[in-house]
Amino acid sequence: MTLPDARNILTAAAVVAVVLLAGCGERARPDGPVTIVFKHARMFGDDPVPRLIAAFEARHPGIRVKTEALGASSDEQHQFFVINLEGARGRGAGFDVMMLDVIWVPEFARAGWLLDLTDSLAPGELAGHFPAAAEAARWNGRVWALPWNFNVGLLYYRADLLARHGLSPPRTDAELANAVRVIQAAERDPKLDGFVWQGKQYEGLVCNALEALWASGTTLIASTGEVLPDPARAEAALARLRGWIDAGLSPAWVSAADEELTRRAFGDGRAIFLRNWFYAMDLFEEPNSPVRGKVGVAPLPRLTEGVGAPGATGGSLLGVSRGSRHPEAAVALARFLASEDAQRVLAGGSVLPTRAALYADPALVAKRPHMPAFRDLATSARPRPLTPAYLMLSTSLQPEVSAAVVGVKSPARAVADARHQLEHALSGLR
Amino acid sequence: MTGRERQDRRAAIAFVAPAVVVLAALTAGPALWIFWLSLRERLPVFGVDRLTGFGHYAFLATDARFWSAFRVTIIFTIASVALELVLGLGVALALRGQRVGRRSALSLLLLAWALPGVVTARVFEWLYYPAGGFVNVILGTPLNWLGSPTLALPALIVADVWRTMPFVALFCYARLLTIPAAVYEAAAVDGASRSATFRFVTLPLLGPVLLVTLLFRTLDALRAFDLMFVLTGGGPAGMTETLTVYAYRSLFQTLRLGFGSAIGVVVFLLVMLVAAAYLRVLRRQDATA
Repeated sequence: MTLPDARNILTAAAVVAVVLLAGCGERARPDGPVTIVFKHARMFGDDPVPRLIAAFEARHPGIRVKTEALGASSDEQHQFFVINLEGARGRGAGFDVMMLDVIWVPEFARAGWLLDLTDSLAPGELAGHFPAAAEAARWNGRVWALPWNFNVGLLYYRADLLARHGLSPPRTDAELANAVRVIQAAERDPKLDGFVWQGKQYEGLVCNALEALWASGTTLIASTGEVLPDPARAEAALARLRGWIDAGLSPAWVSAADEELTRRAFGDGRAIFLRNWFYAMDLFEEPNSPVRGKVGVAPLPRLTEGVGAPGATGGSLLGVSRGSRHPEAAVALARFLASEDAQRVLAGGSVLPTRAALYADPALVAKRPHMPAFRDLATSARPRPLTPAYLMLSTSLQPEVSAAVVGVKSPARAVADARHQLEHALSGLR
Repeated sequence: MTGRERQDRRAAIAFVAPAVVVLAALTAGPALWIFWLSLRERLPVFGVDRLTGFGHYAFLATDARFWSAFRVTIIFTIASVALELVLGLGVALALRGQRVGRRSALSLLLLAWALPGVVTARVFEWLYYPAGGFVNVILGTPLNWLGSPTLALPALIVADVWRTMPFVALFCYARLLTIPAAVYEAAAVDGASRSATFRFVTLPLLGPVLLVTLLFRTLDALRAFDLMFVLTGGGPAGMTETLTVYAYRSLFQTLRLGFGSAIGVVVFLLVMLVAAAYLRVLRRQDATA
């Protein structure tokens, strides 16, 4: 009877092994609640994100979401992400869903930090977003992020001043120059500046420069990869920026101005025209704003009649970390937050949605009456160059454009130097 | 060397060893690693990681942006340290001569120094605000402080002097307090004028402290970053971009780890060179003193 005993023992051992293995497996219960971390920047004012997270958790009882705040500036956020994602080398970096600036998606995708979302999406899931917003989510034919909120460069004007002097909103540089001269001559207010924009050496200057390049009928980087492919038109674009200052249409201080500085000048009633983003409008319409009810919006002025002047796009997208341990839950959260319903809640706060339909939503329009006017601007907007080397291009370009704006370099020299710098920045990639 | 001396020497080495090891691990280690990185082309975003030898240094030698940053760093350092030294010394002398309210004057002085750099930068952003900023209102001018290629660097130097002059003043003041009154009485008895007393009594006695302060301030100024990063972003036209700002942009903003490290190595060498020069002077002073 020894043999059966041995068999019994073997059977018992097998049972124990199976139980043990099952026990090990149970530690990662597939049905238990998983926790994912959402890394995002705080929104101004009444932050709707906590409410959205609560709604998501109610709909997905198996998922808990922990939100973690990012630094305030885009620079800090970028630095946080690259250090953590590069340091993690594909393993979990401590967060699953991340809020990405519109210019980072190709870079993060190229680096292998983002999960390819293409196959997780329903057909046509990006169709509801503005073309420029959806474009910024793609790179190399795949989708790497979901558009979440939107900003577009546009021209703000003082509707009251234009009306008082019988002028209509300017469509071209010539009309803008005329309006500034007529209004400044008639108002006789030395503190009233003409056209203010962002000329400080930083990312915002590159947005203004890109818009000038597009209005000149050229671009920063051609589809062939050539940088500043049309130097003559690029020179015209830089000459135009400098020309606004030289002609006295823009005050000299725009060469140190960022979005907020110009927004405050215009918002205090000290400028007739302003190039800025969508976000500024809510602030102009605040109850104690000196320009409340006096601000109109228009496309950026054209350099020539025949060439459009699209605004550059800003805003953010939601990406999923490739090292996420719960990719399905993370993708579900990103899709939920980018959905039309969630964006409607967000648009009740201080951000603007990437979904065109919401700009005609009656409840939202009642709260933010300027939204319909933004719709056409958003439709014709254009993203900044979608390349993983964007930040290299931008930081190489900034001093050269700034040099042209303050006049220490001629436009021709600045374009030549910028081409040289950009070529070098890109040479390391080959 | 006697046996006793040899034994002492061994003990000394044993006592010093932990400090040497820690210092080596904390400073020499990273420095060597940065140097090794600077010999590579490493772009994590693009999966590029290869040896380039001294390629980055060769590019820097002809890089207009690098030489501009180098020039800005040197001008900023010399101008701000010189001003801080002169003003700090002046403030220290004034403090010593002050009879009432010394304590509150000291706390006020320290306030400027205690502010974080970014806060100082924001304060100055408001002061230099072109339309209606404090400075322009006081001067009655519409000067474009931060946006003009000629004014931006001086504007930053003024901000830096405001922030770090108290540091110099405090060091000098502390030394002044330790100079015995008898020395001045002797000078007075000998009929020394005020300027002669300052030149032949106060200044020589302050010398070593001034040198150490100068060393600290110079090394700090060579690595200046926060004021220009916040106030001007290095602009306009790169006129306020220091070497550390250039290194930051290359390293953290564009993740050109090899190239950025090469700039870092240059800053490191520059700082070491200046530190060595100062230490030589200090040692010579010790020898003559």
